[in-house]
This record gives sequence, C-alpha cells and structure tokens, in this order.
Amino acid sequence: MNTFVDLYSTTSATAQLRRAQKITEEENEEFSDGSWGSQAGFGTIVKGGPSFMVPNVPDPTSFLRLHTDDHADPSCRIKIQHGTTTLAFRFQGGVIVAVDSRATAGSYIASGTVKKVIEINPYLLGTMAGGAADCQYWETYLGMHCRLHELRNRERISVSAASKYLSNLVYSYKGMGLSMGTMICGWDKTGPAVFYVDSDGTRMKGDLFSVGSGSTFAYGVLDQGYRWDLTDEEAQELGRRSIYAAGHRDAFSGNTCNLYHVKENGWQFVGNYDIAKMHYEGNGTGAGPYGYEPRITGEN
Amino acid sequence: MPGSMVAMTQPVQQSFNPYTENGGTILAIAGSDFSVIAGDTRQSEGYSIQTRYAPKVFRLTDKAVLAVNGFAADGNMFVKKVKQRLEWYRHAHAKDMPIRAIARLIQTMLYARRFFPYYVYNILGGIEEDGTGAVYSFDPVGSYERETCRAAGAAQSLVQPFLDNQIYFKNQTPAAGTQFPQHLPLTSVLPLVIDSFTSATERHIEVGDGLEIYVVVASGSTSLQGLQNLRGVQEVTGTTDGERVFVIRRELKKD
Amino acid sequence: MNSSSIYRPAGFDFSNEIRNNFLHEKGLPLPGATSTGTTIVGCLFKDGIVLGADTRATEGPIVADKNCEKIHYITESIRCCGAGTAADTEFTTALISSNMEMHALQTGRKPRVVTAMTMLKQMLHRYQGHIGAALVLGGVDITGPQLFTIHPHGSTDKLPYVTMGSGSLAAMAMFESSWKPNMEREEALTLVKAAIAAGIFNDLGSGSNVDACIITATGTEMLRNVEMPNQRVQKERDYKFRRGTTAWRKEDIRQLIVQEHTKPVGGDEMDTS
Repeated sequence: MNTFVDLYSTTSATAQLRRAQKITEEENEEFSDGSWGSQAGFGTIVKGGPSFMVPNVPDPTSFLRLHTDDHADPSCRIKIQHGTTTLAFRFQGGVIVAVDSRATAGSYIASGTVKKVIEINPYLLGTMAGGAADCQYWETYLGMHCRLHELRNRERISVSAASKYLSNLVYSYKGMGLSMGTMICGWDKTGPAVFYVDSDGTRMKGDLFSVGSGSTFAYGVLDQGYRWDLTDEEAQELGRRSIYAAGHRDAFSGNTCNLYHVKENGWQFVGNYDIAKMHYEGNGTGAGPYGYEPRITGEN
Repeated sequence: MPGSMVAMTQPVQQSFNPYTENGGTILAIAGSDFSVIAGDTRQSEGYSIQTRYAPKVFRLTDKAVLAVNGFAADGNMFVKKVKQRLEWYRHAHAKDMPIRAIARLIQTMLYARRFFPYYVYNILGGIEEDGTGAVYSFDPVGSYERETCRAAGAAQSLVQPFLDNQIYFKNQTPAAGTQFPQHLPLTSVLPLVIDSFTSATERHIEVGDGLEIYVVVASGSTSLQGLQNLRGVQEVTGTTDGERVFVIRRELKKD
Repeated sequence: MNSSSIYRPAGFDFSNEIRNNFLHEKGLPLPGATSTGTTIVGCLFKDGIVLGADTRATEGPIVADKNCEKIHYITESIRCCGAGTAADTEFTTALISSNMEMHALQTGRKPRVVTAMTMLKQMLHRYQGHIGAALVLGGVDITGPQLFTIHPHGSTDKLPYVTMGSGSLAAMAMFESSWKPNMEREEALTLVKAAIAAGIFNDLGSGSNVDACIITATGTEMLRNVEMPNQRVQKERDYKFRRGTTAWRKEDIRQLIVQEHTKPVGGDEMDTS
C-alpha cells in the first residue's frame, strides 16, 4: 500500500533504508547466493550489503521505538541492553582501552561478563556502548571491510579511514533507531590513534574519550591522572582505576574491567579485573585496595 | 448511525502490535565436555494456558541445541529458518555447521530484523569443535556472548541468581586452601537444572506443566555413564559420528 | 474549634489523590498492590451454602503466598470470599464483620445475610470502585440459605451458584455443566471442589489448594485445605552451606549482657526537708 509513496518519497524510513543499503550495496532478494553456503549473512559482502526486514507500516521507526525504547516506556517488551562505562586514551606508549562488563535491562543486571571491547582485527579495537547488537554487528562488519581494504590496497587501513567508514555507515541509518557510541582505537602510520564515532553521525579525533552512563566518573579519575608521557604501567593503572571509579559509583556499570593496550605491532589483552576485588584487595600487583579502608584506617 | 459517521470522517491512528509474551523459562549450562539445555513446556497468554506442551528446546544438529523463549510465533518461525539454513549448509558442505558458526549465523539472522525484531531470547547450547561444552546467549537483535550458564524468560530473575550462586559460586568463599571447580560434572548439573525449574514453578505463575532437558555429550565423554540409568531419558542422536544428544522429560506442577 | 488544625475526618485520607494522579499521568507507575488473582465460588444446595476458594496470592506474575485464606469470617453463619486487591478484601470484610457484630448486639437478633450484603454494597459504592473488592457472600439466616456476589462498584447478584475472580470462567464451566437444584451436602462439596480445581489448573492467577466452607442452619464447617493437589515435590539435593561460606571483613565480639556494678558511696543523706 505504501510502496508507491515510498518509491518516490525521500523522507520515509523505508526510502532512507533503501538509500542506506545503496551505501552498503543493495541486495534485493531475501536470500542471496551466499546465504546458501557457509558465508552466513555476510556471504553477500563482495557484491551486496546486508538487507533488513522492515515492518509494513506507515512509520517503521516509531514502530521500533514503541517496542524497544525502554527509556520512554520501561514496560516495552524488547529490552535492548544499555548502561556502560568505556574509555580509551592515547599516550606515549600507545592506546589504553578499558571497559566495564555489565549489561543492564532496566534495573536487572542482564550480564556481568560482556565483552565490550570488540577485536576488529589484530591492530584495531572498537568499544561498545549503547545497543550491544548494533556495536557487535557493525564493528564485525567493519572488520570485514578493513580486510577487503588490505586485499585491495596491499596495506592496512588507517584508523581514520576505518572510523570514517563506520561513521558514514551508521549515518546512513540516522533516525532509524541505531544506538552506538564507540571508540575506534589502533595504531597506524601516524602512530596511536583514537576516534569517537556515534550513531548520531559524530566522528571526532582525540586523545582521550570516555563513553557511557559512567563516563563522568571515569573522566574524573582520568583527567587528573592523564599525561602524555605516562609509562605503560602507569597508563594501564590509570585505565583500570578509572573504570573502577565508574563501577563503584554508577549503578549501571560494574562487575569487571577489561583492559587492552594497543602498541605499534597490534593490541594486547592486559587482563580482566574484578571491580569488587579491586575495592577490597587491590588489582593483584600488591598496590593495596582501591577502597577507602586503607585511608580510613590510616586516619585511626 | 452516528458512530459510523465519525469513523468515516476522522482517520484513526491504529498502532501495530504484532507481539505477545508467551511466558515460560529456558536455561542452559555448559560443562567441560557436555552441555545441558532445558526449558519448561507451558505456553501461556495473560492468565490463560494456551497449551501444556509446546517445546521450547530444539535439536539443531548432533552438537547443537537451541532454546527459544519470548513470543512463541516468532520463536517457532525463527527455529524453522535456522534449521533451513543448517540444512542448506549440509547440502553445500556435507557436514554439520560447527556451533560457533551457528552462533554467528543466529546473530546475522536476528540482526537482519533489527528494524522489525524477532521478539525472542535465544540460548544455544552444544559442543564446540574442540570438544568442550558451550553455551551462547543472544538478545532479540543478535548481540551474543559465550558463557557457562544462562537463564532467560519469565523466571530469569528467579533462576539466574541461583545459578550464579551454584555454578559460578558467587557470594561463596571456598574453604581455606581449596578452590571451587571451573566446571561441574553432569551428575551435579542435572539436579541443579531440575531444582531450578521446580522452584521457578513454585513461585512463577507462567512456569510449569512439563520440563524438557536436552543433554549434548561430547564423544568419549565420561558423562555418559551418569545418563544411562536415569529415569525418563531418551536418546535423540541423529548420526553416529561422535556427539550424542539425549532428552530427559519430567513433569512439573500444573497449577 | 480550637482543635480544627489537627482535626482529621474519619476514614480514608484522599489528600494525596490529586498529586498521585498527576504523577501517574506523567508516567510514574503506581506501586502495585497484592492482588488475589483468584477463583472463588459459592453454591446453593438442599440445606445450605458451600463456599470455595483457591489459596494463591499473586504480585504480578510472582506467587506472593502459596497458601493464603480467602474465605473471610463475617458472622458465625455468614462467610465471605474475596477476590481483587488483597488488602481491600481483608479490611472490608473485617469492617463489615465488626459492624455485623455490633448490629447483632444492638438488635439482639442473629443478623441476616442481606444486611451484610447491603452494608458491603453501600460501602463499595460509596468509594466508587476504588476499593477493589469482588466478593462472594454466603450464609444461612432466618430466611434460609442466601448467596450473593458483590462487585467492586457495589452492584450485587443473587444466584444459586456464583463464581468470581480471574478463574471465574473455568469455575463457572463446572457449575453450568453439573449444578442442579436440591443437591446433597457431599454432592455440592464435590462440585465446589471441582470448580475450584478447574480454576487452579486452568487459570494462572489461581493455584495451590482448595478451601471450602459449608454453612447450614445447624452450623458452619470451615474446611481449610480440603484438597491439596499441588504439594511441592522433593528437591533433587539439599543446599546447606559449609560453615565459613560467607565472607566477612572483621570480627568484633561484644558482651550483650550489661554488667552493672553498684558501688555505695557514703556521704550526706538526700535532703528531704
């Protein structure tokens, strides 16, 4: 019923989606040849982009919001996981990426073991804030395109180009309900690089970012401890300590901290740290607990 | 009729609501070389029971079992489409899709409906290519994670804390000089699964009627002995090349 | 009028109503009251009334009480089953029970079921449905066995067999197929038990056990848990925790018994002059 209008309108959500699919290269059939074999949904990557089913209603965007937006309506059925603290900063020794591991649906902790750092490839990391599926899916998709870039150009994609690819991609879906706030981190010809990309279409180059409900707490610790000439150990501790502070004060962040360090020859996983353990016992390096206890007992 | 005149002249905004909640609960636990995937069989809407036997757990291959919970119509359609894709894979490659690939397949299938989601919470359990037990849990639009145990559905908030305590030993301190095991044997996992469901049945009105527990066992696993002499166990293995799948059916309270 | 500033009228306090309605319109969910998503029934037989109820109380989809009592005492020969908001049924029946006792003392007669019915319907109507009580009132008085239903807004029915609550359709199906006039006591009890069982098994809001109450001219018999078809099954294992399972931060032992030492001090006596 709406097809004729959609075909010629420029503002309807379906028309917009069609334009978005042109960017990821359009695929008209529901299943392409690729889906018959082993390439899963990404089998279409060479010739076409992924295709999305849209409800046949006048306004699919408000339909989606009606059923999934738990900010406006806490009783909505499909709960998309929210609540996060993520941070990344550039320093002399590379990039530190630290995130918490909590996923919340309303007041319920849906998971305490979420991997919020997405390993795009051995030298690119993406962080996850907002819709978990949006971040996981599009950053995986980005990873495949980074590989295609390597094959086509015989060199690794720059962090700038990778983040711009993602930024353009999510911008083409603007207003459709995607929700992601991510930092694309890596090391390229220009050295360590961090880019902030979100679903509004924002893309910013920077030295230091924190994203999520606990970001204000993380910034507090991060800003007072940040210097360009931090040593590797100091930088890692700063990342850890900032996520601890957010996990301690923000109800929607917590459980554990995942820490990554991007160096010249790719990223390495530094460790997983229990936030409660850091509070009571410290990070395991013998530096003492992060909580107030030592400060209070010192006073006595 | 004055009423019909109003309807004729004024356009009425009708909201499109294709979703309902059909209750029930599913759970899965991974062991070192086995995986247990369970669900109750009640399907309800509001205060009415639609059926006392609607399976929520499905054998996909000999090494993968999928549990679906949420909106039953979406769930059944989704399982049907996953099975179809696995069939196509078998025709193309003459083997079953490995479980980590099934997990990624499910992600892309769910995400393809990002703007018209399947209202379904999926838990995939089975045996990884390296012979270890695996559980993958998904949200309705396809974000997923490999875990050791996961409960979903109506009584998720009743069952998951129990599992956290008994499987991950959360809020328990081990005796001095000892450590809690990383993986529990099948003989301790099955009682936990059964007790989870009998307890959820006690306190949640949408859980009950019947319980179906699928057990996927890696080839040559010692867990097989514990299964053979169990009450109400039935083997549903399709091929003879390693992994074996069993179902245990139990009654739950019907009130 | 010197105490007008602290005067409070008797009964409900509505001073927060406008504020709460405003907040509700702004999207603040009201705190949910425990509701007895319920099956309650009443049935007339040859020489009396049989009342029946399930014993499940729910808070949304969670079972709040597995064995609650829904057959409330009004007088020795009048009882009332309640469905709806648990607190409302409880307090409404208690208030009317009290007033019925007063009425009996005042008149010196055994009060009638219609009296209780009228008191209940007038009270519920006065509060315009805000008291969420749906009741089945039954008893035997000078005029014989009487059976009523009272809806939350105050309307009443007088019927030979009645059901209420979320399981009312399941229970009514049993009555519609099996009820007949002038049943024997045992026959009526069996039918009531079957009606409640239908609610217990087919309505998610109802569950656990069957309560029944048989009221005849000769006396009232309260049959608490006449049927218990939903006993908890044996757990597969026990969940005892080893001593020392709970972590602690510090240990501090205090003497709870206060030890008092009185030491008489010499000196001047108290001046009492």
